[in-house]
Amino acid sequence: MKLKIAWLYRDLMSTYGDRGNIICLTQRCQIRHIDVEVKNITLETSVKELNKCDVIFMGGAQDRQQKLAGGDFLKNKGPVIKKMVEENIPSLFVCAAYQAVGHYYRPYKGADIPGPGILDLTTKHLGDQAKRLIGDISAEIINIKELNGKTIVGFENHGGRTSLGAKLKPFAKVIKGFGNNGEDGYEGAVYKNAIGSYFHGPILSKNPHLADWLIGCALEIKYQKDVELEPLDDELEWKAHDFMLKRL
Amino acid sequence: MNLPLILLGKLVFYISRILKIGSGGTWPGEIALKLNPNIIRFFSVKLKKGVIIVAGTNGKTTTSLMIRNILQHQGYEVLHNDSGANLLNGIASAFIQQISWWGKLDRDWGVFEVDENSFPAVISNFSLDFSRDKQLVIVFLNLFRDQLDRYGEVDVIAEKWTNAIKMLPKEAKIILNSDDPQIAYLGKNIKQKVVYFGLNNTKLFLDGPEHATDSIFCLNCGNRLTYDGIYYSHIGIWKCEKCGEKRPNPQVSEWPSPLSGVYNRYNTLACVATALCLGIDSEKIKEAFTDFLPAFGRQEEIEIHGKKIKIFLSKNPAGFNESLRTILSQGAEEILFVLNDRIPDGRDVSWIWDVDFEMLPFYITPVVSGDRVYDLALRIKYSRQIHKLPENAVNLPQRPILIYEDLKKALDFCILSPKKEKTLFILATYSAMLEVRKILKGRKIL
Repeated sequence: MKLKIAWLYRDLMSTYGDRGNIICLTQRCQIRHIDVEVKNITLETSVKELNKCDVIFMGGAQDRQQKLAGGDFLKNKGPVIKKMVEENIPSLFVCAAYQAVGHYYRPYKGADIPGPGILDLTTKHLGDQAKRLIGDISAEIINIKELNGKTIVGFENHGGRTSLGAKLKPFAKVIKGFGNNGEDGYEGAVYKNAIGSYFHGPILSKNPHLADWLIGCALEIKYQKDVELEPLDDELEWKAHDFMLKRL
Repeated sequence: MNLPLILLGKLVFYISRILKIGSGGTWPGEIALKLNPNIIRFFSVKLKKGVIIVAGTNGKTTTSLMIRNILQHQGYEVLHNDSGANLLNGIASAFIQQISWWGKLDRDWGVFEVDENSFPAVISNFSLDFSRDKQLVIVFLNLFRDQLDRYGEVDVIAEKWTNAIKMLPKEAKIILNSDDPQIAYLGKNIKQKVVYFGLNNTKLFLDGPEHATDSIFCLNCGNRLTYDGIYYSHIGIWKCEKCGEKRPNPQVSEWPSPLSGVYNRYNTLACVATALCLGIDSEKIKEAFTDFLPAFGRQEEIEIHGKKIKIFLSKNPAGFNESLRTILSQGAEEILFVLNDRIPDGRDVSWIWDVDFEMLPFYITPVVSGDRVYDLALRIKYSRQIHKLPENAVNLPQRPILIYEDLKKALDFCILSPKKEKTLFILATYSAMLEVRKILKGRKIL
């Protein structure tokens, strides 16, 4: 079996150790002898390359870099990803990417920054005096039937507050931390096989079940059959996971 | 009148030293600033020659120590915040510690390393009379992603610096790294004299770019920069092929470094550029370097029970990669990694995934410890799993990663290792480095 991972804007949107997700996905495939190829999809890359991919990942960015990527994303890559997500391609958008896939991002000054509306959500920055939501975070997955009830751990660092559209489901229920807006107790969003999350950077490293869900899902969509992934020795992954769950 | 303030500050300093509270570097200044927010202005007027400020993500402590040594070698008396306390309160504390009980400050130069975010606040606190030939030199070393949860992103810091430079008097001199695009750009259209330092040594180019780079797009037009060669992270010989913006020619580009590692070549060049800018003779600069000893935790060497130990503070991806490359070039075989997530380290440890642990040779058995020992072990696990193994040998047994939650036990294990002759290299984040020193030397800082 073979998988192609699209890594969006690795040179612009990979500020918080986001590469960890690509490393985890790649290695968890390779150990299972699944051929895996990572496609760097950046400003100059044609959308044809993107279209051939089976999994999508897009990470966090600084403001200037996000602006540099923003135009290309809105015009070129975004609409293609929207179509792919509609076709059930598993995707993971974290941090700045999570905000970028919504309808718009409203900064505290200046005009709204439009997004391609891949996920039905909007994000607002409440002003430069508003507290940034920063810290370790844990949550319980809801709305992904294979993973419901399982915990996830990570770190969040965002100024924007995200609200989901009426029909968009949250990804998880916050145990400790802030999540989407620090108010409603929910974290991230799930639509078909796409996940958006404020768990930034290497979200998959301490949450191997989530990594495997993306891989399994990608294989099932690509090969149109049930896929049972061979279990791996994840003792260390779970130790790191449980250590943070306990500490929080 | 500031005399009572000085008395109080000095008392706090001695009490905290006697009680070993360990905050002697910041408390006296904190209290003094509360009582008189202008205290640094009052102190700085007393410096006879002037002030040198060193800012940047990596290399502040080493560079400021080098500058201090050169000035001392010239016979100057130097005030220096050598404890590494580099916020406003640390600088005020350094003054209080060295001023006499009667408020007399017999120092020619003040050399201060300054925190990235605090730079604007610190610089606005100094008062120098340029009509009396006093000097202000500011050194900007580099800007890398570092403790993003605390500092914010590098662009935000660069913007703060740009605004702060605008407020500086035209007599100030600015020393800039030509090879860091974001630092070089600080020198555009400013009224002060600028001296650039940078490396012209194609032999030191990396084979390919590292993953962790922050400034690889043109600050003028936004286009992707092209590099003739990269020394590390985004540091190299850069240009923009769209708008023609390019790396300025460095006036200082060659000097033997007293410490290993490409990053220390830059620290040395920055220091030499500063010294030359002050009119110090190059022969004198050379002499001053001959007996240079590193700052605490920065390639510092310690010997315990006949075991040689070298400590490398490694606190962000760019610095960590440089430390790794440096110790591997020295043939490191025994390595202890310590990762903490306290406030001085940054609470977020995500950055370890931007470090290229993949360069660790396969025969090394890494020992890991610290508050976030499992995160670090996991990162190293994923750097070794497939990497550098013969084809079709994915399931070969690996060299184990040795995990110690307890730092003392990790150190005991490493120091008592059977290979006494092998140097132990310790790469640690800030608070972890201090803890290591406390265990090995009985004290955290100096």
